[in-house]
Amino acid sequence: MSLTELFPAIKMLPRADKLRLMQFLVIDLAQEEGVPLLSAEAEYPIWTPLNAFDAADTLLQMLKTHQAEP
Amino acid sequence: MTTPVRFAYADPAASRGAGNLLAYLPVTLSHETHVLAVVGLLDTGSTVNVLPYPLGLQLGLVWEQQTTRVHLTGSLARLPARGVIVSGQVASFPPVELAFAWTQATDVPMILGQVNFFMEFDVCFFRSQVAFEVTPKGQAH
Repeated sequence: MSLTELFPAIKMLPRADKLRLMQFLVIDLAQEEGVPLLSAEAEYPIWTPLNAFDAADTLLQMLKTHQAEP
Repeated sequence: MTTPVRFAYADPAASRGAGNLLAYLPVTLSHETHVLAVVGLLDTGSTVNVLPYPLGLQLGLVWEQQTTRVHLTGSLARLPARGVIVSGQVASFPPVELAFAWTQATDVPMILGQVNFFMEFDVCFFRSQVAFEVTPKGQAH
C-alpha cells in the first residue's frame, strides 16, 4: 500500500486516532534511530536532593560540632 | 593563590555522545584507616553531599553507629540516611572535612552538593570546552 493510498484513510480517522498515529510514528522512528525515549509506564528516579534544607542544616550542625571537638 | 586544577567531563555510560557528559570529579575519601579513590558527580542543584551505601561500607562506616538522621528529598526520600563526616582530598589540595548524607541507596552516584562540597571548593564550569576547574575556597584567581 502506498502513502497516496493511505492519506484518504488517515484523513478519515478521528482526532484521537490521528494523535495516536503520530505518537506511533515518532516512537517507531526513534526506536529505529536508537534514540532512547521516556516511557509513560516507567519510573525515572531523580537522585538530586533538591531543597533538602533540613538535611543541609543537620550536616552543617554536625560539622560545627565536629570542628568544635578537641 | 592556588592554580586551579582542570578536569574533563566524563560519560558515565561510555558511548552515548556529547549530550551525556557530566562533571565527575575524582576524590580520595578517607575515614580512620580506610582510604577510597572514587568519583563524585558535581551537582549544583543538590543541597547536600550524598554517599551511596556501598561506599560508606568500604570506608569502614557502620550504619548502626551513625545516630544522626538526615531527611533527603527526591527519589532518595524513601530511604533512610545518616549524617557522616569523612575526609576528602581533591588532586593535591589539602584534605577537607566533607559531610555526607549516607543513604541506603546502592544505585545512586556519589553526589557532591552545596553542603558542603561547594562551600569548600570553588568550581568553574566550562561546558562548551567539556571541562571544569576546581580550587580550594578563597584561593581562586
